[in-house]
Amino acid sequence: MQIAALFAAVLFGCASPQQSSTSQSDYKSRAVTRTEGGLRVSAATLSAEESAALYGAPLASQRIQPVWIEVENRDDRPYFLLSPGLDPNFYPASEAAEAMAQSDPDRLAELDRRFHGLAFHNPVPPGATVSGFVLTNLDEAVKVVQLDLVANGRAWSFSMFTAVPGFRGDYHASGVFRRELYAPGQIVNYTDDAAFRTALEALPCCATNKDGSKKGDPLNLVVVGGLDDAFPALVRRGWRPTEQTWSGSILRMASSFLSRERYAYAPVSNLYLFGRSQDLALQKARDNIHQRNHLRLWLSPMLYHGKQVWIGQISRDIGSRLTIHSPTLTTHKIDPDVDEARAALMEDMAYSQSLVKLGLLEGVGAAARRAPRENLTTDPYYTDGLRSVLVFERRPVSLADIEVLPWVAVAR
Amino acid sequence: MSPLATLALVLALAGCATWQAPADMSDAGLRSRAVSATSQGVRVSAAVLSADDTRRMFGTDLSGAQVQPVWVEIQNGTSQPMWLLRTGTDPDYFSPLEVAWSAHTTLGGSVNAAIDEHFDKLGFKNPIAPGTTRAGIIFTNPERGMKLFNVDVLGRQTLVPFTLFLPVPQQAPAGGATAAQIAFLYPASELTDYRDLGALRAALERLPGAAAQGEPLNVVLVGELEDIGAAMVRRNYHRDARAADLNQQVFGRRPDVVLRKQVETRVPSTWIRVWRAPVTFEGRAVYVGQVARPVGGRFAPADATDLRAHADVDEARNHLVQDMMYSGGLDKLGFARGAAAGARSDGLRAVLFFATRPLSLADVQILEWAPLVKP
Repeated sequence: MQIAALFAAVLFGCASPQQSSTSQSDYKSRAVTRTEGGLRVSAATLSAEESAALYGAPLASQRIQPVWIEVENRDDRPYFLLSPGLDPNFYPASEAAEAMAQSDPDRLAELDRRFHGLAFHNPVPPGATVSGFVLTNLDEAVKVVQLDLVANGRAWSFSMFTAVPGFRGDYHASGVFRRELYAPGQIVNYTDDAAFRTALEALPCCATNKDGSKKGDPLNLVVVGGLDDAFPALVRRGWRPTEQTWSGSILRMASSFLSRERYAYAPVSNLYLFGRSQDLALQKARDNIHQRNHLRLWLSPMLYHGKQVWIGQISRDIGSRLTIHSPTLTTHKIDPDVDEARAALMEDMAYSQSLVKLGLLEGVGAAARRAPRENLTTDPYYTDGLRSVLVFERRPVSLADIEVLPWVAVAR
Repeated sequence: MSPLATLALVLALAGCATWQAPADMSDAGLRSRAVSATSQGVRVSAAVLSADDTRRMFGTDLSGAQVQPVWVEIQNGTSQPMWLLRTGTDPDYFSPLEVAWSAHTTLGGSVNAAIDEHFDKLGFKNPIAPGTTRAGIIFTNPERGMKLFNVDVLGRQTLVPFTLFLPVPQQAPAGGATAAQIAFLYPASELTDYRDLGALRAALERLPGAAAQGEPLNVVLVGELEDIGAAMVRRNYHRDARAADLNQQVFGRRPDVVLRKQVETRVPSTWIRVWRAPVTFEGRAVYVGQVARPVGGRFAPADATDLRAHADVDEARNHLVQDMMYSGGLDKLGFARGAAAGARSDGLRAVLFFATRPLSLADVQILEWAPLVKP
């Protein structure tokens, strides 16, 4: 299988968007569509201008972003769309109306009616097509739309990357993102767990600076899966691509629709692996505990049973959440206990409905608390030297079905 | 201000950097009042730390940080390593070093490093090797009174879930409580057990439509309180009863349990108030309740005390159903009539059946009861 094609699919879903005008009425025409299991789903994310026109209120000012969804059900049973799958912190239509009406009762009544009418309403009966909006937290440039549809005894999951208009350029006019990342001869598909482990343990310990001369944060994460298994898991648990970090390969590949300048001065630093900066950077959404957990992923030339293998780095920024913390002059940018963020992700993913295997293996190299290593920004960190491997699957997986790979038993 | 005066002020503000590593970190007191449970070869014990315990073990009072430390011990009697999944205990738990940060002092250099090391040492560490016991602290968000404490212990293709009711020191009677003590107890003669889903539905449709105060009873939860609690905690619902909740009366009494979803802005969010009904299904408890969210939602001021229900209670009900699909605890779902209908309500109540065994999205059985129709 061509990695380049997979990569393109990761970026933009399986369908080619048809049009990219930013006028306020044609979001449906740029919708990304997928069909599977008797379901046809389409999604499009509205720009600030489009949502203001449609909702009659500047939703983006409260960082609310409507996603248009249409579901055609050709199965034999009713389906329910699950809004928390798109965004665990989504906004009920009535709540958004209250936010926009301020305290004006007439305005509230009008907006409430309007927002309620625009909302996606369950169920989707057999043979029917239902469309409407789910109100999510605002993303700029690119939005991952995760659709979980549940019926009696079955569930389907679709992930789509949608473009948010209003950015310079015309992404689909260019085939540049279909550029091959790896030549077919470079790609190795592992079907043997021991060989896969050996290959993963042979990877470098750390990401580096641009010319590879200095070691940065430890590569403590391996994510196995792609658009329909790993990404749904991350999105369901509130992970979202960070706007600043659509850089590196994906930015280059998609440079005609993402404004390069926008990111040139971004505060998030680039780290390097395989000779390029991270392909994806994500952060946990909003104000919950893992808000400042950042993860960077690079697509590797490996496959595991045909699935994409991403090598990654996860760490947590600490310091500002607690209300009484003292001002301090000696701060760390990252939690020096980098294993904590790695464990937190692993535990969180157990609740994602998609984690099917987890394991730990060597490769990072241990660093003791009293002899910490430093990343590129001279933040000290210590670690047991392990990297975690998370394997995702598309079929829903219960907490009691997660397999533990018999590799390293962590002993901290 | 002179440089010297500035320095003096900084030192004064810094509180002299006097943290001392506590000498007494014994968990004997916690162990003696811990609440325990055993299942599938795993034994879990837990106790909420008092302010005194916290000062004694951490050398600082964390209550101002809005952190509630809980001591947990897990005895692994199985033949495989097990992991405690902290996300299942509190999706917004704090890491040890995050909490340590709150105790840092200005110009504290080596003292701050010692604080970090101390907090990290006391934090709970995975995994729990076969045949071993591990104890440590989990830093959770505070709950008052009786804490609904969920512990999910993960092994190879195994999950052993526990739900404990932990007394919060100085706020609840010692010794813990069982679900039966928390929920209302009916004499056996007043309970009707149903074995047939159709008969259960009919009984549920005969339950009161609203509380005496008029808010509709738009949800029914079927299952033991432990199973319901596990599903709710995994989705960030916690026990949190306020005055407005306790004014609601059904069956002539105030709600048995009130849960509230914790949202990022920390303003009051969706609540579930439940009353045990004089009905069981296959011997399992049945609760009838109200699900709603307060007027203003997340955009209300953080100190808002207006906890009136927003009129669109159907929306809150439907979103609860969706949330529970991800809980791993939802077994069956149906909609029955019987809730007080209103201008904004279809009069249906969502009936959610909970199970102990973990379930995925594809395992939920959706009953063909009353059809949910687009409003």
